[in-house]
Amino acid sequence: MSQASAALPIASGRETAREVWRLSRGHRLRLATVGVLGIVSTAVNVIPPVIIGFLVDRVRAGTADLGTVAMVTAAMVGSAALGAAGTAMTIVLATRVYHTILAGLREQLVSRAMTLPQHLVERAGTGDLISRTSDDVTAVADAAPSVIPALTVTAFTIVVSLGGLAALEWPYAVAFAVVLPVYVLVMRWYLRIGPRVYGAERAAMSARAQQILESQRGYATVLGLGLTEQRHRSVLAASWGVAVWTLRARAVGVMLNLRLNFGECLSLATVLVVGFVLIDADVSTVGAATAAMLLVLRLLGPINELVFVVDDLQSALASLSRMIGVVTIPEEAGEPSATVDAGVAVRLNGVAFRYGDGPRLFDNLTLDIPTGQRTAVVGASGAGKTTLAAVIAGIHLPEDGTVAQPGRTTLITQETHVFVGTLRDNLTLGAPTAGDDDVHAALDATGAAGLLDLLPDGLNTIVGTGGHPLTDAQAQQLALTRLLLADPELAILDEATAEAGSTHAGLLDRAADAVLHGRTGLVIAHRLSQAATCDRIVVMEQGRIIESGTHNELVAAGGVYGGLWSAWEAGRSTNNTVIDKQENKEF
Amino acid sequence: MPPSIPPPDREELSRLGRGPLTRWLPLILQAPADPPDVQPFAADPETTAGRFLLRVILSVRRVTVPAALAATLWQVGEAGVPVVMGLAIDRALATGDVGQLVLWIGVLVGLYVVLTAAAKFAIQLTAYAIQLLQHRLRSTLSTGVLHPVAGGAHAPDGGVVSLMTNDVGRMSNGVQLVIMPIARVVTISFIAVSLLTTHWILGLAVLVGAPVAVWLMGVLSERLSRDTREYQGLLATTVGMATDVVAGYRVVKGIRAETEATRRYRQASQETLVGAKRNAGLLGRFLMGSGVVTGVFVAAVMGLAGWFAVDGQLSIGELIAAVGLAQALLPQIRSIANDSIPNLAGSRASSARILDALQADVAVAPEPDDAVSPVLPQLPVLEVSTPSTTIRIEPGELVGVRTDDVTAARVAEALLDPRESGGEVAVRLDGIAAGELTAREYRSRVTFSPHRVTLFSGTIRDNLTVTAAAPELVTAAVRAAACDDFAADLDLPVGEDGNRFSGGQLQRLALARALASDAPVLVLHDPTTAVDSVTEHTIAERLRAVRAGRSTLLITSSPALLSSCDRVVDLLEDAPVRVGRSS
Repeated sequence: MSQASAALPIASGRETAREVWRLSRGHRLRLATVGVLGIVSTAVNVIPPVIIGFLVDRVRAGTADLGTVAMVTAAMVGSAALGAAGTAMTIVLATRVYHTILAGLREQLVSRAMTLPQHLVERAGTGDLISRTSDDVTAVADAAPSVIPALTVTAFTIVVSLGGLAALEWPYAVAFAVVLPVYVLVMRWYLRIGPRVYGAERAAMSARAQQILESQRGYATVLGLGLTEQRHRSVLAASWGVAVWTLRARAVGVMLNLRLNFGECLSLATVLVVGFVLIDADVSTVGAATAAMLLVLRLLGPINELVFVVDDLQSALASLSRMIGVVTIPEEAGEPSATVDAGVAVRLNGVAFRYGDGPRLFDNLTLDIPTGQRTAVVGASGAGKTTLAAVIAGIHLPEDGTVAQPGRTTLITQETHVFVGTLRDNLTLGAPTAGDDDVHAALDATGAAGLLDLLPDGLNTIVGTGGHPLTDAQAQQLALTRLLLADPELAILDEATAEAGSTHAGLLDRAADAVLHGRTGLVIAHRLSQAATCDRIVVMEQGRIIESGTHNELVAAGGVYGGLWSAWEAGRSTNNTVIDKQENKEF
Repeated sequence: MPPSIPPPDREELSRLGRGPLTRWLPLILQAPADPPDVQPFAADPETTAGRFLLRVILSVRRVTVPAALAATLWQVGEAGVPVVMGLAIDRALATGDVGQLVLWIGVLVGLYVVLTAAAKFAIQLTAYAIQLLQHRLRSTLSTGVLHPVAGGAHAPDGGVVSLMTNDVGRMSNGVQLVIMPIARVVTISFIAVSLLTTHWILGLAVLVGAPVAVWLMGVLSERLSRDTREYQGLLATTVGMATDVVAGYRVVKGIRAETEATRRYRQASQETLVGAKRNAGLLGRFLMGSGVVTGVFVAAVMGLAGWFAVDGQLSIGELIAAVGLAQALLPQIRSIANDSIPNLAGSRASSARILDALQADVAVAPEPDDAVSPVLPQLPVLEVSTPSTTIRIEPGELVGVRTDDVTAARVAEALLDPRESGGEVAVRLDGIAAGELTAREYRSRVTFSPHRVTLFSGTIRDNLTVTAAAPELVTAAVRAAACDDFAADLDLPVGEDGNRFSGGQLQRLALARALASDAPVLVLHDPTTAVDSVTEHTIAERLRAVRAGRSTLLITSSPALLSSCDRVVDLLEDAPVRVGRSS
């Protein structure tokens, strides 16, 4: 939110209109039908007031009999049924087209979100993208019940009723048209303040949800650090924050109601005055005045509705332009892959890199990773290990220099994510064609087969948010199995086995071993025991490669790595035997 | 996050929608800046959902009774509009009497003034009642479920968020049931009585017809709202899936599964589309049905009135008024059927869910309040007994414990909430079982920093000072936890769930927060698993100094951390606890 320049783009009004028009392809005939049906059915809805006016005049003239009454009643029932059917059909058809277009758009949105260059998303924060694929999609979908009738039936009703008034006696329509500017002013006033107050109310609501969520997620922290009282007060303060904004929003709503009532009263008084003059001049009848009054009464509802709907419509349009803003991000032309000699899987040549406008992290970095070997990268936090992994994986593009990597390169990091769905769905994400046999084989290879016994429905167990909970270590084991199934040429593991911390380290190390078996591997390690088993070790410091060689070479050389290794050994020696023991444990 | 809209500026805010002509109008019932003190609602095991709802709704009678009166005046006023118009046409337009015209326009204006003022009170009072109830219910759930002082029966799951937002909102909306439906029923009766005085058959038609129409439309809307909930569930699933896929975006990218993830989303999206189309069909049936019901109803009243007018039993003015009244009935009928009935169902369902959560928690043993509160020294001896051994931490000691994950989790659980642990691990302070102490006493001695890091929204400083009594403690803690390299500016916001920081940085911040508490006894559970070995060494070197003079228990298997301890209790070596199977 703070860096506006980094946020994902938002489509302009023109781009949004163009994209919506493009999306409507294939539905335009149906949309035209909606228009025709809408006009016809609203026209039918104008009939009852006119009939009542007719009856009033006949009764006054004394020319009405029971036959007239029966005919008039039948006409009213008929027009009510016809009008209701027409209106229903209009709305059903329009709603279906609306949702079909929305479904197409949200699918394009997610598809585009998945193929966006990662640096763009990292800069904007995944939160922005999540908000567009969830909040905005929901906002547009939820607007349907109010926006669709407004755009079809209500808008037509106003036009047709004005026509009806004009048909009765044109001065009625003119009188009403004179009042319309009042509504325009009311709407303009409302749009100035309404959305802001409601926006502030919604922001207070998300702050409230966030406070509750934090207390829930941090239950152990709250209890363990004795923060119960404090958190209770924070939640209540956020809760009351919403109350403050809601009551302010209601106050604005009340003022809107007051202005609309003023418009209504003015319209009705105008009808009375115009009717009085017209009847006095013998131009109009009492029946026509009655019909005009009933038509105006019927109009007031839809006009009031429109004022309210404009708010929904605006927020739906805002959401729409945020969705379309992502969909219309142009595809980046794929960089031609640099050529590599045989036997070299990855070649970095003079690579320079920085995040956005930040300081240069790499300058003229050159590195070859031989095919089929396992290379480790070690160094302190902030040395640039993770950035190097992402550049090699092709996630970050270098500012200068070239990076060549195999076509099927995969990266897994400490950040695990268990997708909502079955365990099978989670494992086959990178290998959609894998059968259950493949899945079982992969689970065996990574030593995760035992996990199946712990889950109630085996591969069919629903995991992820709201599903069967998995520990961090289990999630990481799942990620490694997923990677094995995806069967990449180059596998990059960025501290992928770090989280387990204590006893699971050995287990995950073996899983990682299985994943790397028979392919080129790059391991970003923070436990040196992991690095020691690799074919080659690269030591980084402040974005530079300062040492590289085999474990034995580097230890013998007594450089930075040698120093790290002896510190590690010193800490480890006291508990050596135990470390070996714990590797036999499973969870 | 909702689309960002600039909040209203102060001047606009002070007016809250009042323009140059309406500036003099009073602002009523605005919320005070500070939350009011509220008592939690009682939820005994015998309470049923319906009774609980009733208790909640009736708890704000000082607001709802005036609100119902104002709402009645408002709705009767709305129904009076067509009547006044009919009378004006009859008395002024049909006669050509200017005096009558002025009189009736005056009546119309007066009616609008009254009904607008009544609406203002009704709307504002109703909103106030809803907010008061929401706040009190939320407070009840906060103390009962989210922040139980004594520790809950179990940690609340993610459902508590929905419970404290959606369900609290829906249940509080139930208070409208003692406001609007009352006003509407009174209005319908008013219309019926007006028609009765015009012609008894017309009145009877409304008295019989209105309930039938409400019932018919209720039946029609019931099927629709059931399907709408189903469709909304589908939509929520699809939206949830998009959130999930985007949240796991890096993982998807990492294994190049973009196409497959998109394909799966498309499948869910299309299922939702089918649901949306079916829902639109039902909406159409409802619109068609309710249009016919109301149309036939008005036509019937009008036909009857026309018949009586032809017969000479009704004047023209009465005929117009009758038609106007019949029109005024429609919104009343529609609202009862479409708003009040679903509201009742929704608030009852939410009441049941909230009650469930509260009653589940009532089952927890109460605090040992018969207070023979034992006198504990400020720095007691901590003893943790597992089935195989007892770990004893003397005042001022730094003790490390190495164990398998399952035992570590049990020990951690027992130290976090000794009153709730299953009993396999016992915690004692100076020989007194922790379960016999009040939660407050226990926590004033023992602070537990869990392995899983949670930062709260706000700045780094906000997070570090939640436990710290003095600012210099924060500075010392930041250095001891080796946060000085990235947390030089303590006023940096931590971001949602601390997403501004890497896993290792988060762990260091959590460690700094725990150290800043300067607790007499501090328990740290795997505090550095995501921290690189160089930094871990630095932390191990600084830990002793910052905890000097106070007791610390480290549950960890990090060699670096263990090497800094006074003593290491190695449960793996002494008594291997075997859980699961060996591979």
